[in-house]
Amino acid sequence: MISRVADHCFWFGRYVERAESTARLLATTHNLALDAELEPAACWRPVVVVAGEEAAFVTRWGDDDATFADGERVEQTLTWDDETGVSIRRSVASARWNARSIREVVSMEAWESTNEIHLYMRGETARADFADRRQDFYRRVRSSTQLVLGQLRSTMLHDEPLDFIWLGVMVERVSQTARILDVHHHAITAGGRRHEVVATSLWLSLLRSLSGYEPFMKRNQGRVASDQVVRFLIGEDRFPRSVAYCVRSAYERLCAIRPPAAADLPGGQSLERLRILDELVRAQRSELHDGEDVHELLTTVVDEIHALCESLGKELLGHA
Amino acid sequence: MSLFADYRPLPGTFDEVLDEDGARPAFRRVLEQLGRMSSDELARHQQLAELALLNQGVTFSVYSDNRGTEKIFPFCVMPRLVSAADFAHIEKGLEQRLRALGAFLDDIYDGQRILAAGIIPPEMVLGSSTYRPMLRGVKPPGGVRIHIAGVDLIRDPDGTWRVLEDNLRTPSGVSYVVENRVISKRIFPRAFDLARVHRVDHYPTRLAETLRSVSPVTGDDFTAVVLTPGPYNSAYFEHSFLARTMGLELVQAPDLFVDGDMAYVRTTRGPRRVHVIYRRTDEDFLDPDVFRPDSVLGVRGLMRAYAAGNVALANAPGNGVADDKAVYPFVPDMVKFYLGEEPKLAQVQTYVCARDDDRQYVLEHLGELVVKAVDEAGGYGMLMGPQASAAEIEEFRAKINATPRRYIAQHRIELSTCPTWIGDRKVLAPRRVDLRPYVLTSRAGPWVLPGGLTRVALVDGSYVVNSSQGGGSTDTWVLKGDAP
Repeated sequence: MISRVADHCFWFGRYVERAESTARLLATTHNLALDAELEPAACWRPVVVVAGEEAAFVTRWGDDDATFADGERVEQTLTWDDETGVSIRRSVASARWNARSIREVVSMEAWESTNEIHLYMRGETARADFADRRQDFYRRVRSSTQLVLGQLRSTMLHDEPLDFIWLGVMVERVSQTARILDVHHHAITAGGRRHEVVATSLWLSLLRSLSGYEPFMKRNQGRVASDQVVRFLIGEDRFPRSVAYCVRSAYERLCAIRPPAAADLPGGQSLERLRILDELVRAQRSELHDGEDVHELLTTVVDEIHALCESLGKELLGHA
Repeated sequence: MSLFADYRPLPGTFDEVLDEDGARPAFRRVLEQLGRMSSDELARHQQLAELALLNQGVTFSVYSDNRGTEKIFPFCVMPRLVSAADFAHIEKGLEQRLRALGAFLDDIYDGQRILAAGIIPPEMVLGSSTYRPMLRGVKPPGGVRIHIAGVDLIRDPDGTWRVLEDNLRTPSGVSYVVENRVISKRIFPRAFDLARVHRVDHYPTRLAETLRSVSPVTGDDFTAVVLTPGPYNSAYFEHSFLARTMGLELVQAPDLFVDGDMAYVRTTRGPRRVHVIYRRTDEDFLDPDVFRPDSVLGVRGLMRAYAAGNVALANAPGNGVADDKAVYPFVPDMVKFYLGEEPKLAQVQTYVCARDDDRQYVLEHLGELVVKAVDEAGGYGMLMGPQASAAEIEEFRAKINATPRRYIAQHRIELSTCPTWIGDRKVLAPRRVDLRPYVLTSRAGPWVLPGGLTRVALVDGSYVVNSSQGGGSTDTWVLKGDAP
């Protein structure tokens, strides 16, 4: 397929996934801040860090707890701000822009759903929902974006364009999981010994923010401990947001796009990078002993995914 | 009570569906059915239709606006009806006209017999900025030049159909024909059923066949693409619509390159040869080597590949000389010259300011005429004499005297009207319309889509149907047979 089109596919997938994951993170944290006996800044700062917006927040509002204690401001900014790269509205607009650039590729159903959520985010209804029915608002964003992802899989040819879209989804998702886990793991374990109830509620909130609460419970029969959560979110093969699952799935998509045996086609470097990352995650997932190991592995994942995107751009997506 | 009960056609104007005595016979039963809807119901359908268009992204980008503003093309839910007899006449007339225009282009880019025979003054053709001398002697692959034409027709107060303009370069609007139909079928299923309307949704299939017919290679290993200037173009929706419904790739100029006089598209698996390009870019921006050296757009070497017969371009570059407003007055002569036939379709009497007699007449009657600059489109660069101020008339007088060749003039035609839904008053009122049918010409010859884009001047009293100036559209029902 045309390289520019593949690029739009890849980014379409990333932005849809990003909108969903930002909405989920904000909804979960909103809930957490209501229940837990936690300082507001301890709830919200990690969200801003995961979003990659810590520096921007400090520049705009100053480097103290007050900046991060204002949950309303965090939600406002990460939902509406067009200057903030991960804000829901901007992610939706970018997803829609990419889809519009390849409308002949995206199925009609998926396009219409993408367009509708964009129009919703630009209209007054969304503002009113956000003001009066916050959880319903997040739910609508999430279900609309999930609808798009489902429609893509059930109404498009399972062919190269969908492979690129899904590669984008997986790349975005694994970065999200890795960053969320890294930030929270650090916050929960480094904050000194917390009351067990508080720690548990934090772990549960983390699982919820990755749609992993129920799957985790099914695997662990209700026992919540930090090691188990970490192993689950990194290594569980069957959980569609775990690091291992996303890396493997991205690798499989790339194999479909550029088969390992097809040495004459472009994409060899990217494929090799993903293969090595997949091996690494699988080798280390059962040997994570302390916080250092976890942090190190997650940092490697984030860096490697970044490098992967660079090489995908050069090899397949027509970047200079 | 029927929706049409209070509808009154304008005096001195042909109304498409009603005359003083009510519905025209061919439409009586359909109109009875259409009129059963209450005005509240129609208003609700109108709103839903607009919302559906917005949600589907059936929009055009607004040039005057910065990035990203999109609007729906204003749409009236009440369909415009065309009788079987009328359309049969249009169809025959258009086939003939397209054959003549094709022959004219072949001739102009070859022996120029029509100029030598004195049928058209050579300076009218050779002096036109749309004439491309460098294309003389170049044979288009498949022998077709006007693969896609959109011909604007109007109807005068006698009900005579007349050609107003031929669009032979990159005519747009056909996507609205298909999309408008989806909506009107949903709103008026019973009337639609009763009316027995020709379908229009096979247009993309016919277009794909047309493109395939001019491929420089035979067999299945064939690639056609749609070339768009990109998502900011006002007709981007249509470009993507056509690519999607034909199953072709939509490309932008940077996706293409030429090597060894062959055109290729850059793919994730390396270069792939391209055989036919349905280009929706202006020909000025096709190839910087040939047309606009200053342009960063375009595909370097594309015209070389075209001249070598390795890639077909639809429409062929150079067609502008045949839809030039200065050449328009001579189309009936072309029909006689090339086909030896009498023109079946009338057109509008036109004064060519480059001719002394005509110019003198025009200058003496500026207040009654519509003056058009030959190289402007979209309703720009016009003088509407009957509505113009004295200052505007004087301005055009000076312009015509300075460069007579740039201007033509016509009497203002009282365009026919159609019952049109006026949302804020919740009534049907007469508004002026034109009709743009689409003609596809493959290697086998022309084919007319039984339908077309009806454009409506939505503003009360307006004669300008262009979407850039307050025009909208409505679905066009071409009936298969006249009503029982």
